[in-house]
Amino acid sequence: MSDKASASAAKATRSAVDRKSNAGTTPDPWEACVRIEYGGDRSLAWSVREEIIATPPQGHAGAEARLLKALARPDCTDAGRAFVCQMLVMVAGATSVPALAALVRDAKSTEAARYALAAIPGPEATAALRDALGALSGPAKAGLIGSIALRGDASVRYALAGIKDNPSEAAIVREAATRALEHLANAKA
Amino acid sequence: MNPSTLLSRRDFLQKTGLATAVAAAPLILPSGLRGQNAPSKKITVGIIGCGNISDSHFPAILGYPESVRILAVCDVDKERRDESAAMVNKSYGSSDCKAYADFRELNRRSDIDAVFVCTPDHWHALVAIDAMRNGKDVYVEKPLTLTIQEGRALVDAARKYNRVAQHGTQHRSMKRFHDVAEFVRNQGLGKLDRIECYIPPNNRHCGATWTPEPVPAGLDWDMWLGPAPWRPYTSLGCHYNFRFISECAYGQVTNWGAHYLDIGQWALDMDNSGPVSVEGHGEFPSSGLFTNSTKVDFTVRYANGVPMHCRTRHDGGGTVRFVGERGWLDIARNKMSASSNDLLREMQASGKKIQLPLSNNHHENFFDCVRTRKMPIADVGIGHRTTTVCNLGQIGMVLGRKLRWDPAKEEFIGDDMANRLRGRAMRSPWALI
Repeated sequence: MSDKASASAAKATRSAVDRKSNAGTTPDPWEACVRIEYGGDRSLAWSVREEIIATPPQGHAGAEARLLKALARPDCTDAGRAFVCQMLVMVAGATSVPALAALVRDAKSTEAARYALAAIPGPEATAALRDALGALSGPAKAGLIGSIALRGDASVRYALAGIKDNPSEAAIVREAATRALEHLANAKA
Repeated sequence: MNPSTLLSRRDFLQKTGLATAVAAAPLILPSGLRGQNAPSKKITVGIIGCGNISDSHFPAILGYPESVRILAVCDVDKERRDESAAMVNKSYGSSDCKAYADFRELNRRSDIDAVFVCTPDHWHALVAIDAMRNGKDVYVEKPLTLTIQEGRALVDAARKYNRVAQHGTQHRSMKRFHDVAEFVRNQGLGKLDRIECYIPPNNRHCGATWTPEPVPAGLDWDMWLGPAPWRPYTSLGCHYNFRFISECAYGQVTNWGAHYLDIGQWALDMDNSGPVSVEGHGEFPSSGLFTNSTKVDFTVRYANGVPMHCRTRHDGGGTVRFVGERGWLDIARNKMSASSNDLLREMQASGKKIQLPLSNNHHENFFDCVRTRKMPIADVGIGHRTTTVCNLGQIGMVLGRKLRWDPAKEEFIGDDMANRLRGRAMRSPWALI
């Protein structure tokens, strides 16, 4: 082996060792952000947030797609889901509604999903919120009713009237329905 | 109120000697018997939120034993509410003041005329609106609300229910600030070039990570969070420190900005309007519990071209400086200076063409208006506009780009993301309805 070839081989060996000596590869923030825990390091999620904020409007659909992909990961933690949904608040459109519609009906994920749905304009998100009425109960249902009322969805008046007068509903839910009906009536006036 | 100037409840009792004073319990008639605006009527008060900021209100309100009576206090922390009720009762020498854990119970009492909202910021709108819906006048601590949408809803409620609603920006009741605003309004500085507001830095810090803790006995953590997104309890993120967590407050931008930007708004005659653009840069922590800016730097610009800057000052307290073609005026709570003594003399002179309403005491002004049904010096409509300026700064710094604002429609022009940040969905079961 020539001196040059020998030097090259030694360099390659050093390089390989150096690479292995690293603590590890930098995680993909878009994957890591769904695994954050309350109280844990959120710096990688912060990177995602900064990237989303800097995304121009024409790039929102792409950012939304990446967030939805992250949201679908099986290792998504509660804090991670909450984070991704907060990011969706800024860029989500109708494309996000099917995924969020499923989450909003689940008591475990309904809060985070509702925050994102409430920010999405258009009839798809309105329908997703409305359709979740039958899937929730207690405080979660009361919060959902509030979000529906704030969108001015008058088509739920009949359903809300039924909830208001249904003695089997929790008091907090009936109160929310009463308040929502007042809100919708005032908005109409 | 400046936290550093506040007396604690215990300090107050000790320094005033009320700890041993026993006063005869005055006769309290239900408000319905004599009418809310009867001159002889004793105004009955509830205080919701018995933490840091309430410490400035208790001594002030207890200072009117002949005309105002605290009948109830409320806090989600049992120790705080019990201590506050005990202090009030000791001061009055009675046991009339009741302690509540749930503000809705207090608001439903028909014998209470007015409510002081002293909760963390994320609760202001819901508590105040509920109080007004139940017929109470309200004094709402600053910032008026957490979000722009909440502010609009609160003002709408005040109008709908015909309530007296004062914003806790007490600079409006300090003659020094009044005089400067009036002087600027009368072109005392000539053509105004700019306004520079300086606010103190964050006074609490925490590490890059934190550990959830068991909720202390006596604290209803779920109610403390209320409309804010859920997170586990940590003592680092509860009393007082909520201010540095964006789910609950926007740091010094709204805490101190509400005071100093408010004087800029007053001097510019923008009490029913606001700027047309904002641009800023903030330094935000990329990890840890605290999420609000540690360094603030933003500029709002008005339709007349005048910019108002807001920056963090690391070498002192808050100030607002007006710079015009004739010089400058710099004003803080405890001092005032100018580029020339002539300006100060002119400012003190009487007979100005435009005369701003004068109040020398924010509490008295509120109580007077509760009796007379007049508009208070810092009506919540004014407070909403000032808090909106704070919010514009916050959103401008978060997004880091220039934003155009329509103050009539209260919406950003051509920036959907910014518009989405004007409000937020609330945690169940709460909603802004």
